Amino acid sequence: MNVLKNKRLRALGMTIFSILFLGGVVILGLTLDKGNIVTHLEIRNAPPTLEHLFGTDWLGRDMFTRTMMGLTLSMGVGLLGAFCSTMIAAVLGMVAATMGKVADAVVSWSTDLFLSVPHLVMLLLISFSLGGGAKGIIAGTALTHWPSLARIIRAEIMAIRSADYVQVSRRLGKPGWWIAMNHIFPHILPQLAVGFLLMFPHAILHEASVTFLGLGLSPHQPAIGIILSESMKYLSSGLWWLAFFPGLCLLFAVRAFAAIGGNLRQFIRPSSAHDAR
Amino acid sequence: MRSKYFASLAAILMFFTMALSGCGSDKPGSASKAERKKDELVLSIEGEPDAGFDPATGWGRYGSPLFQSTLLKRDNNLNIINDIATDYSVSDDGKIWTVIIRDDVLFSDGKPLTAEDVQFTFETAKKKGSVVDLQILDEIETKDNRKVVFTLKKPQSTFIHSLIVTGIVPKHAYGKDYSKKPIGSGPYELVQYDNGQQLIVKANPEYYGKKPFFKKLTFLFLSEDATFAAAKAGEIDVAAIPASFSKQSVPDMKLKVVKSVDNRGIMFPCIPAGSKTPSGLPAGNDVTADPAIRHAINRGVNRQALIDGVLEGHGTKAYTSADNLPWWNPETVTKDGDASGAKAMLKNAGWKDRDGDGILEKGSQKAQFSLYYPADDGIRQSLAIAVSDSIKPLGIAMEIEGASWNKIEKKMYSNAVLLGWGSHDPHEMYNLYSSKYAGIDYNNTGYYINETVDAYLEKALLSTDVNQSMEYWKKAQWDGKTGLSGRGDAPWAWLVNIDHLYLVKEGLDIGKQRIQPHTHGWPLTYNIEEWKWAE
Repeated sequence: MNVLKNKRLRALGMTIFSILFLGGVVILGLTLDKGNIVTHLEIRNAPPTLEHLFGTDWLGRDMFTRTMMGLTLSMGVGLLGAFCSTMIAAVLGMVAATMGKVADAVVSWSTDLFLSVPHLVMLLLISFSLGGGAKGIIAGTALTHWPSLARIIRAEIMAIRSADYVQVSRRLGKPGWWIAMNHIFPHILPQLAVGFLLMFPHAILHEASVTFLGLGLSPHQPAIGIILSESMKYLSSGLWWLAFFPGLCLLFAVRAFAAIGGNLRQFIRPSSAHDAR
Repeated sequence: MRSKYFASLAAILMFFTMALSGCGSDKPGSASKAERKKDELVLSIEGEPDAGFDPATGWGRYGSPLFQSTLLKRDNNLNIINDIATDYSVSDDGKIWTVIIRDDVLFSDGKPLTAEDVQFTFETAKKKGSVVDLQILDEIETKDNRKVVFTLKKPQSTFIHSLIVTGIVPKHAYGKDYSKKPIGSGPYELVQYDNGQQLIVKANPEYYGKKPFFKKLTFLFLSEDATFAAAKAGEIDVAAIPASFSKQSVPDMKLKVVKSVDNRGIMFPCIPAGSKTPSGLPAGNDVTADPAIRHAINRGVNRQALIDGVLEGHGTKAYTSADNLPWWNPETVTKDGDASGAKAMLKNAGWKDRDGDGILEKGSQKAQFSLYYPADDGIRQSLAIAVSDSIKPLGIAMEIEGASWNKIEKKMYSNAVLLGWGSHDPHEMYNLYSSKYAGIDYNNTGYYINETVDAYLEKALLSTDVNQSMEYWKKAQWDGKTGLSGRGDAPWAWLVNIDHLYLVKEGLDIGKQRIQPHTHGWPLTYNIEEWKWAE
């Protein structure tokens, strides 16, 4: 009993810490003075000091400010991408489970199709064909991340549909939409929330990697992928702080989201705490 | 779910390692220092030609053709001297150019080079219609084995540049794969060429000129990082490096700084918005059409700060497209880094910040426009950011946009663009500023039109006397009243000339290097015959 309690407390602590961390990043990213990322050529390439926690880059811009703004921008892009993707998954899962065999076959087939192509390849293709930029990345993440969640939603709805109380409800003459609204939707909501949170780290990482490869945002915008890809050019001249701190921050941000998502799932379905992971 | 998240982390990690190892793995020709002979060199100086080594499609435009020789050439002070020509003359009307060539020149396959080969070369180059523009050429005739007569459609003094850069190809051995297997009469002949990797050449025993000291040269086509790594490892003798690496010392190598006209500047649309180019793209910009804006940027930007900050001090201030070349007018040098002067200019022209947002207005027009730069070019990006930040205090909001060349080509007639030029051919100035080239490709993209300048440019082109044409080129830049430079109409804000940096093995003498044009690489080997080990 004690162990479980501790675990629960630990999970709660971790979740709160993660939320605080992410909230802090966003607040800093939105409030830090834009003047910090104006070029100051006289203090370029400065290693980390108290004044510039993460050092400065080759144009003398404060890397701490750039990193925070970059993470915020990347999180914004990731958030929008993951949200759209979750919506697609919800709609398709619903369609597959409720609209008959043909619809199910079509959705299942396209789910398999999308799962069979690596995310990143699809993402590159989509953002390239949309001409890159924020639009390309958001559309790319939205269109590539839905399949596994759609599959889960579909299975969930099918299970609920065959549950006894739904059958009873139907025999009692409740119309289809009433069942969908009152019996099915409340049950898949937690699944959607958890799915959304767990999709988020993927979306950020993919945003960062597409931008890193040069197909994403314009290279002077402070997105985290751009910061990382720029820093590669300066690694051989020994400017390690350009890559180290932003990379670490990205890692923490992604880890924080994963922790929130994972813990939320445990709180909603405590039985999953004992799942093999 | 959890394992998936690790998987994607692993994917990112893999990218990093791939990006890193991708630079390191393509390291051919890694002959160690010990086994290399004294008369062999390994160079990594960029500049692999996309179209191969065929002078008819552009090989040698920016430097020595290496395999071929040319009719005329420039010495290290950029004076024109003979190569395989022994004499040339221009008729009084400037249309007929007669060139006499040496009779002792052999191709590397042992066959003699005759006037027919010259005729064949120029006819082929004209027919191919590549970057080599010989449309001015009407016909080419051979009088005997040594005499070639070029007839132009109209006089053009810059035609001499075609005689300087066009390597002569052998008529008897010119086939489809010539660009991969060149044969010529130049100082070196081809041994092996691996596309994208390396080029190996050896000294041509039939070469008529001064025999080069180095018998074998290996050119590696490596990325910047790989070049630097190879230089550190002592595997190469000459390495081209970007300014960001110049602060680190490399054992046994010294830094050689070569001045250049490899310039970068901002081209402004000089006409108000609303026009269209012949291909239907929007042209003109209401803000940059105001000369006060262009003059204020020219005056306000601190070029020395850009050189120190972005180029690590390895550059010179740029004022025109042809700084320090024989046709450059030194009077075009103006004051810069003068914010108060720039502000006064804007004020006098009626620009004022009425709504207090830090951006000036004139009537309903805000001093706001976009500057496009190619997204994959780090130096242009840094210059764009630095200039944009430095003119913000003047009240000019220049938003920067990184884009692909494809996108820039659609935007460059209606927005400011960060471009770069620099050539040993004065004709470039004609292309950039003449109203005849307005809106044609990357030439006068800003629709700069000034009748006085046009007249000078035409006169420079039509002049049959080289010295006289130089005077006209100079007057086009600034004649005391007007001109195409920043002192005159300022259609451009030229920023910097980028020094070309090379790490050269200690003790290797690469002679006196001339002012290099808009590219690394081949200009360096122009004087390859002079290269030697000190003592």
